[in-house]
Amino acid sequence: MSEKLLELKNVTIKFGGVTALNEVNFHVNRGEICALIGPNGAGKTTVFNVVTGVYPLTSGEITFKGVNLAGLKRHQVTKSGLARTFQNVRLFGDMTALENVITATDVHKKTGLLRALIGTPLNRKEERESKERAHELLALMGIDHRADQLAKNLPYGDQRRLEIARALGTEPELLLLDEPAAGFNPAEKVELANLIKKIRDKGYTVLLIEHDMSLIMGISDRVAVLDFGQKIADDLPTVVQNDPRVIEAYLGVPADAS
Amino acid sequence: MNFSVITSQFWSLVLQGLALGLIYALVSLGYTMVYGVLRLINFANSEVFMIGTFATLYLEVHVLGYATNSPSLHGAKLVWTLVLVFIGSMIACALLAMLVEIVAYRRLRARGANRLASLISAIGVSIALLEGMRIITISRPMTTPRLLDKWSFGEFHGANFRIDTLMAIVVPIIIFVVLDRFVTKSRLGKSIRAVSMSEENSKLMGININRVITLTFCIGGLTTGAAAFIYTTVYENTVFNVGFNMGIAAFTAAVLGGIGNLRGAFYGGIALGMLEQFASAMLGSQWKAVTVFTVLVVVLLFKPNGLFGEAVQQTRT
Amino acid sequence: MANLTRFNLRDKGAEIWAGWSRPVRTVFVLAFIVLIGLMPFAASWGPTSFLNTPITSFQNVLVYPVGMFIMMALGLNIVVGKSGLLDLGYVAFFAIGAYSQGILSTLYGWNTWEVMPFGIGFAMLAGVILGLPALRLRGDYLAIITLGFGEIVRIVAINLSVTGGPNGIPGIPNPPSVFGLHFDLMHPETFFWLVFAMILLVIWMVRRFTIRRPGRAWEAIRQDEDVAALMGVNTLVYKLWSFVIGAAVGGAAGVLYASKVMVISPDMFKFDVSILILACVVFGGIGNIWGVVLGAGILAYMPERIRFISDARQLVFGLVLIIMMNMRPDGLLPRKKREKITEKGAK
Repeated sequence: MSEKLLELKNVTIKFGGVTALNEVNFHVNRGEICALIGPNGAGKTTVFNVVTGVYPLTSGEITFKGVNLAGLKRHQVTKSGLARTFQNVRLFGDMTALENVITATDVHKKTGLLRALIGTPLNRKEERESKERAHELLALMGIDHRADQLAKNLPYGDQRRLEIARALGTEPELLLLDEPAAGFNPAEKVELANLIKKIRDKGYTVLLIEHDMSLIMGISDRVAVLDFGQKIADDLPTVVQNDPRVIEAYLGVPADAS
Repeated sequence: MNFSVITSQFWSLVLQGLALGLIYALVSLGYTMVYGVLRLINFANSEVFMIGTFATLYLEVHVLGYATNSPSLHGAKLVWTLVLVFIGSMIACALLAMLVEIVAYRRLRARGANRLASLISAIGVSIALLEGMRIITISRPMTTPRLLDKWSFGEFHGANFRIDTLMAIVVPIIIFVVLDRFVTKSRLGKSIRAVSMSEENSKLMGININRVITLTFCIGGLTTGAAAFIYTTVYENTVFNVGFNMGIAAFTAAVLGGIGNLRGAFYGGIALGMLEQFASAMLGSQWKAVTVFTVLVVVLLFKPNGLFGEAVQQTRT
Repeated sequence: MANLTRFNLRDKGAEIWAGWSRPVRTVFVLAFIVLIGLMPFAASWGPTSFLNTPITSFQNVLVYPVGMFIMMALGLNIVVGKSGLLDLGYVAFFAIGAYSQGILSTLYGWNTWEVMPFGIGFAMLAGVILGLPALRLRGDYLAIITLGFGEIVRIVAINLSVTGGPNGIPGIPNPPSVFGLHFDLMHPETFFWLVFAMILLVIWMVRRFTIRRPGRAWEAIRQDEDVAALMGVNTLVYKLWSFVIGAAVGGAAGVLYASKVMVISPDMFKFDVSILILACVVFGGIGNIWGVVLGAGILAYMPERIRFISDARQLVFGLVLIIMMNMRPDGLLPRKKREKITEKGAK
């Protein structure tokens, strides 16, 4: 099939005595929408944290575009084409929506402090481009009318959309969405699903963590299931849906089984 | 650099370092306890210490009526006099520390102001106390009466086991043991630890946050007051700016040991006291501060949570 | 009362400013600069003579402490206000600048203008040496490490012979004349203009940074360092830059200070100065240039003005800090809170 954009090989994470991820093998193909599901505490967000360099690996290997991510700093991981959102929204609250996105677009800019001080033509050009790109992304997420409002004053739904816009600002090849629909009503969820498809159609690859099954089944090309830090299923949505192990993980072990 | 002093004065330096370090440890509790629950530097603690030394002086000279040339006391009278002054100094400092919390921190906390605002108001309190005392004492250093005759139990390889040196070691250790038991065993102590792990969750569990904060200031004040008494009894003098160096040293000790936890303050204080003694003996006392600073930076680079610290951050995210 | 504390002068000012056309703005700025330039003569002019300071002459007070404090507060604001790093030893960079001037001028005969780039350079170098290890650590530790560093620079100055030990360095020359302006004891107003020019330079620099990439990076770091890193901000490099630029401003102020007072000694660079500068920043309105300028102006001027209560002036200063912070924790002129309603959708 297509190219493996992100690949986790035998990834294990331990915090003290607790094993958060155990020998997880998992990959994301370029151009797909892949969902990562599992009961609470299964280790989904841990996957995001280890991929983006927040937690160090205990053992195993993570490659992105075939390159090992080990030893990269967090901002370098982002620069290489990975960006994420957060389960509990973490915007720069005292910046405007526009500034939030511009800050993310800065990652690929060349001019640093000195050229900003002198105001070289290149710096001016980059500043202008950043602003235009940021407006584009806000428009894509349907919140360009909020551009000049402080992030902390936005309605909750728009904050979540702004987080996606900000992540897209870093021009990622792989977008990691951590429960993007949390707290949304059904209508908003449908809208979000369409938005995620639109993002994929623009050429981004999407890996998302979600609890809402109907959302996932509707948009995902593939679904991986984590339970107690181990991958228990990884297949087409329709197949995973009927996998007895997945049902067991969600509903608990039946009393007469074992 | 003078290495021979290490061998010739080793035990003497250890003893002095221990005595000095445990005084630091007591004062550093005033920083570490407050930092544990508020995540703020209790900037005025150095002046709480200063007031403690003057409280000791005031009690001895003005309340109990001893002059600087009074003969030393003996027997039961010596014991109850010292105990009285000791408790008096502790109470004075505890009251002051709680007052500092009300004046400098409480209102700002209630308004959810930024951390620096509280820091500046605490600095304001600190300046006011310092300047107030400077004006009252006309900047003059003051001598305290020698109530405790400084007799020695004997020598061990050059280390002089004097009564006041031993007091400076034994009393803090007792205080730390008591406090450690209080924090780990008692209900109030547990609520302090709960708040320092998560203020939000503690609130949900029905813990009165304000009371816990007052309590931590109170405990920090008590131990700082104890340190002030010991310091004054050992060195027999004080001056309005005595708190400054003590404050820096105690804060350094807290960070060195691992700020936010009790045992960190204890070991950090001892480590700093030893370090200062050995550095002074080897390099000369003028380079003491430089050595301490360098060691602090190096330690933090390799052990970001201090020498003996459990990670504060891991418990609170 | 509640209205008064919520009233945000900066917002109001920004609103008016936004309404002006370019020529109006230019005229206003020029008029403002001229007005400030005339400040040294305010004490001898009837209507403003209440500004006069009783002990030291008003013109000298304008240079030090007022001008110098404003400059240093602006420098420290880059560190504390913009990127949220608590520096309790800012005086160290001031001292390094001052000692650069003291040593290079008395031993090698360099003049102030020749020393200036070196003074700034040494301060920046010190910033890098201190910042590289310190900025890797948890934010709270920076406070104690910078505090220690501030003390160490002073202790080193006391114990080295090249710095004149505890007595310091006497006989530092004033800057040579430029453009017919003489810098000496008789002309404190020219010193003021010099400091004023440097303050304007710093303000220009900070404003440039603030609206461009560095400002955004600092702001992101201040608000949430982890997220900033995950959004691709090289946090260590930007923190180091803010630290080093702050150091540069402190160093420049130090060079000027030494060539103004002509004698420097270690006790001029105590911990109190660091704290005072920090107080200026927070008191005025952390993160906001105009707030910082106002705060530094007031806190530097006030103790001089109330010298008649001479002994108690520091006490009053402490009390004012407590009361002010309790009333307006965000400072006199808080950081911007407004939301731009203008220029909607520039696309």
